Amino acid sequence: MSVAAAQESVIVSTAALTQRFGSTVAIDALDVRIRPGITGLVGANGAGKTTLLSALLGLRPPTSGSATVLGLDPRSQGAALRAKVGFAPERDLLPDEMRAVDFVRHLSQVRGLPRSEARTRASDSLWLVGLGEERTRTLGTMSTGQRQRVKLAQAIASDPELVLLDEPTSGLDPTQRSEMLTLIGEISNEYSVSVVLSSHLLEEVERVCDYIVALDAGRLIADGPIEELVGDGDGITLELVDIAEPAGTVDVVESTLRRGGIEVERVGTTLRLGGVGPDELSDRARDAVADAGARIRRLEARRRTLADLFEASAV
Amino acid sequence: MSDTTGTTDLREQVDEADDGAAQILDHRYRPYSGARHGLGGAMRAVIGSSFRFTLGFGRPARHKFLPWLAVVVALVPAIVFVGIATVLDIDLISENILPEYHQYYGFIEAALFFFCGIVVPEILVADRRNGMLPMYLATPLRLWSYLASKAAAVAATLAVITVGPLLFLLVAYTIEGSGPAGPGNWLIVLVRILGSGIAIAATIAAASLAISSLTDRRAFAVIGVILLLLGSQLVTSVLVEVAEMDPRIYAFNLAEMGEALKDRIFGVGPPMLGEDESSPGQRISELSTLFVVAVNVAWVAAGGAVLWWRYRRIEASQ
Repeated sequence: MSVAAAQESVIVSTAALTQRFGSTVAIDALDVRIRPGITGLVGANGAGKTTLLSALLGLRPPTSGSATVLGLDPRSQGAALRAKVGFAPERDLLPDEMRAVDFVRHLSQVRGLPRSEARTRASDSLWLVGLGEERTRTLGTMSTGQRQRVKLAQAIASDPELVLLDEPTSGLDPTQRSEMLTLIGEISNEYSVSVVLSSHLLEEVERVCDYIVALDAGRLIADGPIEELVGDGDGITLELVDIAEPAGTVDVVESTLRRGGIEVERVGTTLRLGGVGPDELSDRARDAVADAGARIRRLEARRRTLADLFEASAV
Repeated sequence: MSDTTGTTDLREQVDEADDGAAQILDHRYRPYSGARHGLGGAMRAVIGSSFRFTLGFGRPARHKFLPWLAVVVALVPAIVFVGIATVLDIDLISENILPEYHQYYGFIEAALFFFCGIVVPEILVADRRNGMLPMYLATPLRLWSYLASKAAAVAATLAVITVGPLLFLLVAYTIEGSGPAGPGNWLIVLVRILGSGIAIAATIAAASLAISSLTDRRAFAVIGVILLLLGSQLVTSVLVEVAEMDPRIYAFNLAEMGEALKDRIFGVGPPMLGEDESSPGQRISELSTLFVVAVNVAWVAAGGAVLWWRYRRIEASQ
């Protein structure tokens, strides 16, 4: 892809975006580029995810730096931008007396759809998120899972180009969480709606997202396609059985591998090996184990996870 | 096959459909490329929704009772007067048997206070309590357009009470034969009804919204609005009429200032309300029209300023 094409495909970019609240730095000189697809905005509570979403929506002018969303400046073109962006906040606060279909219809109208179109699309969106039969129920009678779906429905009802979802699985049990993630993936893939999904649950981001933006205390610690950040690593994990006869086999294997130029990180009876290719690592580990008369409990290619990114940044 | 989530893979549905069972495979959700109404549409949507919300449309019966009670209280005297005018075949207005248009505000006042005190606070407080405010601010609406929409909705709802009964009287008197003489006079009365009704609605709406912005508790907002409307009336009347202090103190009497503006629009003074010049409120006639207009504008501006200041703080905390 040419540089120009790559730039065109960027839907969100920030340049040294900084947001301070008094002496607290919520976002610290953030440079991110988000492409079409599902992007996971991941970080612990207080990492600056919601603040970043607010800045991208133009709800809060940044202290310094700039952002571009769908080619628009959130600061000066916020209203036009928000007409093209759907948003579902984290807070589980909805007007309890309102029927789900009225709630979605009304917000679609506020986002600019004509009344008749808003009514139709409200109903269609609720069907899409699995609440077609429940659409005339009042929000106050719905479960947390259903209310999260209603929030998703209102975010997509006006056919936005981009949807920002702030902790969409908050308060859901594992089954509901799985269903919600499936739904988000389907909406993005089938209807070409880009999604930025904030979450502090790394496994759900890994499961559904194409790209990752990882924040820690307002700083960017990693961003890029998920296959580059997680997946097969450049080493293997060798877990041995601690046996009495012959004794000290784990020590022997470790020292043999070290002498052979292998990078070894030992935790108890587990050796994390690196420094050469995975095939050679496996062969030499197998030979060292055989020579020492040790027994293997587990031998596997090491997999990088999002948790590794955060651990690495903390070091 | 039940598709409770709406997320079942379409290929699986097609496979099952091949088994012979009829299936609806269309999720119906489609891209939209039609017109979008922008900020104007957003404001119209909020005004319409708030107007219906205030009058209880689409809400449980308990939310309909109070606003419609206020409307009925404001309208019943007009219906009675029209009935009397229809039964007795004489010019009842000229004979001073029925009230003139500006005099009808005396019948509306109670309903207006009741409406402002009980119903109007809900229009702002509810959005903060139920999470709609941050939802709105994530749409093309900005704070100013949200507040302008809410203020317009409140003013429109109040106008149902301040303008509605008088328009009914105008039309009914005209049909009955007691209306203004000639199209010119008819139009003048119409403009006065609309002007005074909107002016009173705007002044009281601004004050009510300002007080409602100060608390998330509807009960506190209700008490605040009632205290402002009735308390200021009581205190200023005592100071001016009993203690004989400067009548400009009436500037702090929201209700009397609205009434005074209405009288100036209709071109009459307080003595027309009753010939007893010692009755409360008579010294308002000593105030210049410019002063009365300025005070009403100041009330609207002050209410708007409080509202803006308060919501800027709320927005920053969202």
